[in-house]
Amino acid sequence: MYVLGISCFYHDSAVALLKDGRIVAAAEEERFTRKKHDKSFPLNAVNYCLKSQGITIKDIAYIGFYEKPLLKFERIISQHISAFPFSAKTFLSSIPSWLNEKLRIPKIIRKKLKYKGDILFIDHHLSHAASAFLVSPFEKAAILTVDGVGEWTTTAYGMGEINKINLLKEIKFPHSLGLLYSALTAYLGFSVNNSEYKVMGLSPFGDMNKDTNIYYPKIKKLIDIKDDGSYRMDLSYFLYHYKDKMPSKKMCNLLGGPISPRDAEMTQRHKDIAAALQLVFEEVMFKMLNHLYEVTKCENVVLAGGCALNSVCNGKILKNTPFKNIWIQPNATDGGTSIGAAAYVYHSVLGNKRETHMTHGFLGPEFSNEEIKLFLDENKINYTEFKNDKDLVIKTAKLINENNVIGWFQGRMEWGPRALGSRSILANPCNPQAKELLNLKVKHREKFRPFAPVVCADDTLTYFDCDSPVPEPTDFMLMVYPVHKKWHKIIPSVTHVDGSGRLQSIRREQNPKYYDLIKEFGELSGVPILINTSFNIRGEPIVCTPYDAYKCMMGTGIDCLVMGNMLIKREENPKDMWDSESLAKD
Amino acid sequence: MKKGFFSGIKAGFTGFSKIITAVVNFFLLLLVYIVGVGLTSIFSKISKREILDQKLHNEKTYWSDLNLTDSNIERYYRQF
Repeated sequence: MYVLGISCFYHDSAVALLKDGRIVAAAEEERFTRKKHDKSFPLNAVNYCLKSQGITIKDIAYIGFYEKPLLKFERIISQHISAFPFSAKTFLSSIPSWLNEKLRIPKIIRKKLKYKGDILFIDHHLSHAASAFLVSPFEKAAILTVDGVGEWTTTAYGMGEINKINLLKEIKFPHSLGLLYSALTAYLGFSVNNSEYKVMGLSPFGDMNKDTNIYYPKIKKLIDIKDDGSYRMDLSYFLYHYKDKMPSKKMCNLLGGPISPRDAEMTQRHKDIAAALQLVFEEVMFKMLNHLYEVTKCENVVLAGGCALNSVCNGKILKNTPFKNIWIQPNATDGGTSIGAAAYVYHSVLGNKRETHMTHGFLGPEFSNEEIKLFLDENKINYTEFKNDKDLVIKTAKLINENNVIGWFQGRMEWGPRALGSRSILANPCNPQAKELLNLKVKHREKFRPFAPVVCADDTLTYFDCDSPVPEPTDFMLMVYPVHKKWHKIIPSVTHVDGSGRLQSIRREQNPKYYDLIKEFGELSGVPILINTSFNIRGEPIVCTPYDAYKCMMGTGIDCLVMGNMLIKREENPKDMWDSESLAKD
Repeated sequence: MKKGFFSGIKAGFTGFSKIITAVVNFFLLLLVYIVGVGLTSIFSKISKREILDQKLHNEKTYWSDLNLTDSNIERYYRQF
């Protein structure tokens, strides 16, 4: 039985396809349309999922949609009623999309997909909970979902057992930990629903001491936190409940300045505000999780929602709570609810058993060597062909060891916001200049942002001070851990200012070529770690096709592209294809 | 030549109809906002009914009951 899960019309439209409960394909629409966080109906992603299995829409038994649109509409109207007459502008700008799209979901699905089967609407936080629990390795787990907002719920907790989920308690809009983070992201001059992770990356540059950071008590004024982790916002500091702006003048006065303009230079003040925000965020999360443990007495916990992408906090959870095991799905944000909606329909609504769990995120499109070769030949691109996988691994490791930056395009594209070794840019972490080179010449992104290391699972504890056994979410780059002090100077490019690294661990069965490459690089350099950053430039989605990859390489400082069994060198090809730097945006 | 002329007229009418649609929609929505949203807002304020629960309080917890659990399939056909 095939079940399709769809999430769309808010941000990060995505589709997931389940075959007898197993996820066989999943992708975000942005990868096909090349519009970052594309929220349009994910027709391309649906077509890919169906094509990957050689089926048509007639083979789909059910479609699960990731929220209940009428409940969400009720919340939107309530906001306008509550804020009348100050919400006039947002009412006039937002209601047309509700009338044209969001209130006509079944019609749109049937028309665009020519689908005649059943469509089931799963509550937003139930979709989140299912996206974490039903594909986790646990038979039983405590569940915490924290995001901006769904229909009404912004935070929920409960329990999952076998194939049943029970969400017990909630915190409702307008009180939202996710929106607190987003409001301060906006205050610091970054884009909302996109750059929250940059604020997280900025925080270690600030004062992470609660006693000395002068912004910590100020941020605490924005939110009233109870001992059980429940919270409410002081809404006089916010405008998000009725305007298209998030921080109010009162917040600007509290934090001692106006909202920062886009691309403003980050001063120590900005860094301290980011640090204070991260401290408060972690405080709420740990209190909620400790309370959740008290309620459930279960040693396993699964997290979902945008806040579950806060990898700095995630890496501290097992140390700060009684939980022993943690699991987070690689696409914990709204895109991932497509998996949740489909899994909930298959397992919880239809009552089917859970037989597998999600062990990797390689669920997107792939291109055969023949297809890649055809693309290169048709476009008269110069390349050489590796003899076999061993030759590929040896030569690529040598290139990285010689400080070349490599575009790595192999196998099925990753699911979720992180590149995990299918569409990655790889570089030498021992090269002290690598971070600067990648930030300025390749990614065109802010100087303060760190790069992530990838390490083979069996070497993880040698280099990182991880929880032991190493939690599975590290496979998805969702946990930040301290780098052991003796390696700080040896791998400077992946060691953040506070001595931490947002590592990805990789097991051979997940991606043999990638694993072997890291090991081979280790043989040459003495350190089996690589820099792994997503194969894109700032403002662009991660590359999907050979064309996207080649275009990205030619417009940036990437030296070589290893695409399937082919090696393409930038110096051997025309360099004026496009200017990526001028196109880099937030 | 003729084809270009007619397609030009067609494009002009399409653009004009879009502008008219936007203007009509704007005024209709404004009317709905003032009459529908506005009156409801005024009545709720007169009756002191909080539409969004915004207040901070001194009770022990802000958690509220959700009890969202597996239900009959009929519940999931509904959009609410």
